[in-house]
Amino acid sequence: MSALLPLLLVGAALLALRARCDVYAAFVAGAEESLRTLAGMLPPLAAILTMTALLQESGALPALLSRLSPALGALGIPEAAAPALLLRPLSGSAALAQAREAIARCGVDSRAARLSCVVCGASETVFFTGSLYFGAARVRDTRYAIPAALIGYAAGAAAAVLLV
Amino acid sequence: MRVNAVFCGMLFFGVAFAAATGRMDAAQRALLGGGAQAVELCLSLAGAYAFFGGVLGVLREAGVCDALARRLRGPLSRLMRFSPGEEAALTDVSVNLAANLLGMGGAATPAGVAAMRKMAGATGGRASEAMLLFFVVNTTSVQLLPASMIALRAQAGAASPADIVPATLISTAVSTLMGALACRAFEARARRRR
Repeated sequence: MSALLPLLLVGAALLALRARCDVYAAFVAGAEESLRTLAGMLPPLAAILTMTALLQESGALPALLSRLSPALGALGIPEAAAPALLLRPLSGSAALAQAREAIARCGVDSRAARLSCVVCGASETVFFTGSLYFGAARVRDTRYAIPAALIGYAAGAAAAVLLV
Repeated sequence: MRVNAVFCGMLFFGVAFAAATGRMDAAQRALLGGGAQAVELCLSLAGAYAFFGGVLGVLREAGVCDALARRLRGPLSRLMRFSPGEEAALTDVSVNLAANLLGMGGAATPAGVAAMRKMAGATGGRASEAMLLFFVVNTTSVQLLPASMIALRAQAGAASPADIVPATLISTAVSTLMGALACRAFEARARRRR
């Protein structure tokens, strides 16, 4: 596995040399484009991460979670796994922290911990990716992007609840 | 939905909750620290992005990216329903999907953002059908191997750290399928209204 990236670059360089290209200039041009993209990502990231931190630190999210977790228990979701499932679309780091918490509280091979890990590994942070992609592209009207992504997430999470 | 409304909703709800529960000092800390989190995240990503950008630059010069895009042009155009002008993003869309599957997030995200920018240039400030489907596929499909979760379970002493892989793959597949179907349904509803 660790040979993958070195071999990828060596292979790319060999192909480029065969096509008589300047490998160094191509690498620099690609890196520049990528870093420009990253610079464009920073402002929308700052906006969404600031709002996520606000909801977390003000106690609004924890309060919401403690209300919703028992309700999810009625759907067959262990209460210890509910926070990770609810936080996943909003904040990757918060969901990961909840998965760690479930592992610490219930044991790594418990259903709650396994379910948290499956859901964390099977999905992306919807709001983060949304602000990143649409923010960097200067799209103001995202139409049904968030609802559709959340429907997909909920379906995937439901499948995980049935499987784990 | 407007990004503006989501942002303002989070802001007003968060500050009102902090005011009601007497946690304004925590709210202030969060507001000042959130931007720092973004800067730290970008800095931690910058090295990998420069490397993957460089590799992609070399692959592009060698003609590999164009060859990949040519191969995927037919099937992708049918799936994504590009609007006129959006096909300029085809190479970036192909690279993004390939990198996502292989778990190379450092290559997938810059390509994804570049693809969105090119598509947005063709459609103005409103998300198009192709952009929305591309976004939903990106939020619901992740790498074939959930490496970080396997590592987390191994570190916690799981009996068999990788035994979550089948459930993860099925869950990802279900979420991508349902997300794409939801896009089609929302789009059909929008057309009927017009």
